[in-house]
Amino acid sequence: MKKTNALLFIFALFFAALSFTSCKSKGKKNADSNVTTTTADTSVSATPTPPPPVIANDDALKTGVRDALKDYPSVKGEVSDSVINLSGDIKRADWRKLMPTLNSLHPKRVNSTNLTIK
Amino acid sequence: MSSLQDKYKTLIDTAKESGVTNLQVKEQDNVLYIDGDAPSASVKDKLWSVYDQADPDYKSGDLVLNVNATAASGTRATVTTDSTNLNIRKGPGTDQAIIGKAAHGSTVTILSAPNAQWSLIKTDKGEEGYVYSQYLTAQ
Repeated sequence: MKKTNALLFIFALFFAALSFTSCKSKGKKNADSNVTTTTADTSVSATPTPPPPVIANDDALKTGVRDALKDYPSVKGEVSDSVINLSGDIKRADWRKLMPTLNSLHPKRVNSTNLTIK
Repeated sequence: MSSLQDKYKTLIDTAKESGVTNLQVKEQDNVLYIDGDAPSASVKDKLWSVYDQADPDYKSGDLVLNVNATAASGTRATVTTDSTNLNIRKGPGTDQAIIGKAAHGSTVTILSAPNAQWSLIKTDKGEEGYVYSQYLTAQ
């Protein structure tokens, strides 16, 4: 009887130790999966791509350029693929007034390569 | 920082320091786009001056600077044409009928601004219509 009790006690100790180890690794597993989740969240909150600049279409730009150049008869303006192409000549003081207006029309760019600034 | 943002760094910094709101700096196809709302016409002029220093006569064509100073309703403005009177039109466009004239050097009241190019104004004589904003200087 004493032997049986001793055997039962040893078995109880063995199972208790086994169950403790099992719980320990279960906790570790949970901790590991938390780390994985955190990593996934970080990748989701990465910097979003900024929206592209606002570019007006040719029709809107042609109207705007016509209005802007009305008082500058020596300047010719053409619009192609949202680019304003200027030619002719203009006084520097007038160019400094005209350029902000042209920029406010939302062109892709203003090409003044063929414009002489006097 | 890209080479264009580097080239116009002083301009971007000046815009930030001068209280430009809704400031956006974007780059596409080797052109830098700077948009925003200037708190006053003098800030807008300052930015264009800095732009001129970075790229004399704006010749490179690598920047579109669209920072506008929108005058609040009720703002008084001087007509700053070279010498002629300013056309007052029925609508915002040079294809719209001329319905009056604002004298060079006179003062008008800005009622609203449908876009950066045109303003709806009222003269002291009571004439109301649209004028090209480039020829108005807020007081």
